[in-house]
Amino acid sequence: MINFEEELKKFHPSLEVEDAEEAIYNQDLTDMADLLVKMIKESDEKSNEVS
Amino acid sequence: MFCYNCGCHLSEHDFCTACGADVSLYKRIMYVSNLYYNEGLEKAGVRDLTGAVTSLRQSLKFNKNNIDARNLLGLVYFEMGEVVAALSEWVISKNLKAEKNIADDYINRLQSNSSRLDSINQTIKKYNQALVYCMQDSRDLAVIQLKKVLSLNPRFIRAHQLLALLYMDSEEWERAERELHKCMDIDRNNTQTLRYLKEVELMLVPDENVRQPAKRKKEETIRYQSDNEVIIQPVNVKEPRRGGASTLLNLGLGLVIGLAVTYFLLVPAAESNAQLKAQESADRIIDQLDAKTVRVQELETQVTNLNGQIQDLNQRLEDIVGEDGTLETIDGLLLAASSYLETQDLEATAASLENIAQSVNLEDTSEGFQSLYHMMLTAIGPDLSKKYAEEGSGAYREGDYTKAIELLDKAVYYDAANGDALFQLGRAYDRNGDAAKAVEVYNKVIELFPDTANARNAQSYKNSLGAE
Repeated sequence: MINFEEELKKFHPSLEVEDAEEAIYNQDLTDMADLLVKMIKESDEKSNEVS
Repeated sequence: MFCYNCGCHLSEHDFCTACGADVSLYKRIMYVSNLYYNEGLEKAGVRDLTGAVTSLRQSLKFNKNNIDARNLLGLVYFEMGEVVAALSEWVISKNLKAEKNIADDYINRLQSNSSRLDSINQTIKKYNQALVYCMQDSRDLAVIQLKKVLSLNPRFIRAHQLLALLYMDSEEWERAERELHKCMDIDRNNTQTLRYLKEVELMLVPDENVRQPAKRKKEETIRYQSDNEVIIQPVNVKEPRRGGASTLLNLGLGLVIGLAVTYFLLVPAAESNAQLKAQESADRIIDQLDAKTVRVQELETQVTNLNGQIQDLNQRLEDIVGEDGTLETIDGLLLAASSYLETQDLEATAASLENIAQSVNLEDTSEGFQSLYHMMLTAIGPDLSKKYAEEGSGAYREGDYTKAIELLDKAVYYDAANGDALFQLGRAYDRNGDAAKAVEVYNKVIELFPDTANARNAQSYKNSLGAE
């Protein structure tokens, strides 16, 4: 049996056009490739330090 | 595919031939991103938009520079009615790849049509408002708003789902099913839609093993939109058929009741008001009448007084101007004086003076008048008296005592000092049989002419009459 109140909580207000700019700016675009590059760089830095 | 380190184009090797960087893992990440993109594309093709969103977002998590995935994600969002989310993806896509990017075209199509953009914004606002109504438990208003939203953007899945939820809450299962089917047409595998649909179908086709909860008694209503208004009409309520006779009867009854109310309530009040006003008017008129009556009486009194004054004045005027008036009398005296001075006619003058003496009371006349009169009298008196005395004596001798009395009386009048005339007057009265008058004259003779023969004779005759 569906509970109206519980289901209602799953609905969030939709972004308006005026808020789009802020939403775009706040979006985190970090992806796996960035993480990988970061990890490789850190590893290289560490290896350079060791050597 | 390009090297993450130097940006050179990568070959089939697991290292960059330009910088030597290990690209095996990097390549694998790219492959996974592409895999998810393909998956998303396949799902979008069969209208599994929710699945496509999931796959495409996964693709972008692996590789944010997967422009195709991002553009496709924007398209899917747009198809689901999430316009702002679609715009966001396209804008990011355009920023990551400025040239030869179809996202640019999508953005221009949206922004070029300002009315469309405004309509989209209105849709979002109304949806948010509907959500607020739901929170405030104003479910009817929320339904109205959501219908407006869906009329503007029929592909807005969340609006459909919320509306279906509201219908389900009010146990309008068929309507909820309709909305959910619309959702299904747009997005086949939406989990939320499927879950709601399952619930609705359960309610619409009751299971034998499942005891259906008692339906809430609620009136069914028909809702339809007419312009900007939503008309809510009960279904089961039928207007009673009314025949013409019953209508007429009701009209007649209403008319009778109305007339009765008017007669028993309104008419007496109106009548008493009218009477009160009439009474007030009457009182006012009576007061005015009383005032006028008093004024009339005052004026009448004034008129009476004035009339009296007029009469007096007229009388005085008459006395002065009229026949035998003062002016006339004065005029007569003047004429008499003038006539005497001119003609020395004693008799005419005497006649005038006698007229004057008869017409006026000398004591009421002016001093001048009296003075002139007496002057005239003194002037003509002795001669006149002598004349009248002679005539009187003649009449006495002839035995005409009446005439003698008249003449001798005049003689005495014009000359009081004529003792003989006075005595003879007494004798005339005596001979005429008027003893009283004779005695009176005799007394005068005795009084005025004492120690004279006339006085002695008067006394003798008086004695003979037996008077003391």
